[in-house]
Amino acid sequence: MAFGLRWSGTAAFLFTEVRLQIHDLLALSTATLVQAVLVVFVAVLAPDLLAFALVGAMAYSAFLIGQRLLNEAAYLRIDQRLNELYHASPMSPEAYFVGMATGMLVAYAPTVLVFVPLVQLVHPLGPLEWGVIAAVVLAVWVVSSALGYVISTLFKDMKTIWPYSSLLTNLLGIVPPVFYPIGLLPADVHVIALLVPTSAATAIAAHVAGLEPISGDALALAGAALSLQAVVLLFVGIYWARRSAREA
Amino acid sequence: MAEPFDVRIEVLAAEGRVLPAFAWIGWRWISRNPIAAAVPILLPFFFLFFLRLIAPPEYFPLQVAGAMLFTIQNIGSWCLSDSAYWRIEQRLQDLFVASPLGKIRYLFGVAFSNLIPAAPALVVLAVLLAWVTPVTLAGWAVLLAALVVLWILFSAIGIAISSRLRSQREVWPVGNLIFTLLGILSPLYYPITILPDAWQGAARFLPATYAALLVQGALGLRPAGLEEIALDAALLLGSALLGIVLALALYQWRER
Repeated sequence: MAFGLRWSGTAAFLFTEVRLQIHDLLALSTATLVQAVLVVFVAVLAPDLLAFALVGAMAYSAFLIGQRLLNEAAYLRIDQRLNELYHASPMSPEAYFVGMATGMLVAYAPTVLVFVPLVQLVHPLGPLEWGVIAAVVLAVWVVSSALGYVISTLFKDMKTIWPYSSLLTNLLGIVPPVFYPIGLLPADVHVIALLVPTSAATAIAAHVAGLEPISGDALALAGAALSLQAVVLLFVGIYWARRSAREA
Repeated sequence: MAEPFDVRIEVLAAEGRVLPAFAWIGWRWISRNPIAAAVPILLPFFFLFFLRLIAPPEYFPLQVAGAMLFTIQNIGSWCLSDSAYWRIEQRLQDLFVASPLGKIRYLFGVAFSNLIPAAPALVVLAVLLAWVTPVTLAGWAVLLAALVVLWILFSAIGIAISSRLRSQREVWPVGNLIFTLLGILSPLYYPITILPDAWQGAARFLPATYAALLVQGALGLRPAGLEEIALDAALLLGSALLGIVLALALYQWRER
């Protein structure tokens, strides 16, 4: 394969995926349930953390887009065997991965955006703050999409995927400080939390939003970790798409 | 003279020997997929970790008991997923429908098979509960009874809904919608009294609410007299019975 990236078919597959997802209204409408549950827990048990939880819910929603991509890519490959058709077409493997990930982002954007008016209601933010939040949300989407796509290629049946997908989303969404401030954790584990994409994104967003100021070092660590993960995983995803297309 | 094979198989099915066979299926699933065994154990602890950080510490024993009820309620979601997978993808249900196995035994079989992965989590949570709050023998008995009622109810709901699904794609959103909503509406992780009035009213329509109130009362995690505990037990049984009847009406036992 040529060294340069080939993007033929990206737009076509993007729109295919958007149409496919929009027809799956039930999945779309239930995609914010877990975040809503966690926000409700916070609203009931610790109302003063509500604004923080809502910002965290945006990062988590972006992360769950990767989980949906995992399920979708596995479904197309295992159940429908459509990936063989796509890979036999002029569409490039990277177009398949990027088109699917972007289509998912477009279709599932409302699951992130639904929290914007809620945040604005409880803790109004300016355009600069929203710009930073949008950037970290997009970085989380890149990380989770690449992870989801790579993981989807590792299984032979849909049933086996569930525990891994569930473990990943809960381990990176509920345990780290995404729906609660990092300050509630012992200082010893702050570094680990800032290396996790979801909690790094939330820490940056919460700092910028004035919800939980963190030190300059912590901010730099979270920013560097999230950026590096997004760039590296994007290339890993593209490499993996090419490799799995050859094996299909 | 030996009985004909078809007679023997009818008798075996009626004797319920298929139930341990289904339990064996559950064991094989987790023994071949260690992560599948670990996830049901870890999930309630992820929630408890989160709740421990954000909630007042005095709610923790209530949340441990709630995690046990939530774990048993989740079995319904797994039953939905399993029976859909067996019917739609593996076409195994065709085989079961053609066999002497009836739909109720199949329901209990799938429920047994999914109880196995949840059992370690329930045991660990029971040990944790005994550690964080004193539990009397009567308290354990009430907790066990509530778990059994919810196990049957939510397994029936899971399989009934699963029997109406047409594609594997529907499994995740439908299961997510039903079991997440049921899990959040019932006051499993907090006292019902701290909820807004409208929410309390909606929660009173759900069997898991009465299971939570019953268990919280029996364990002394909320002030409740014997009469109130008896009323919660009666409402749990009544609402669960109604739920099971509705689930069985929805449940389609057919090939494909």
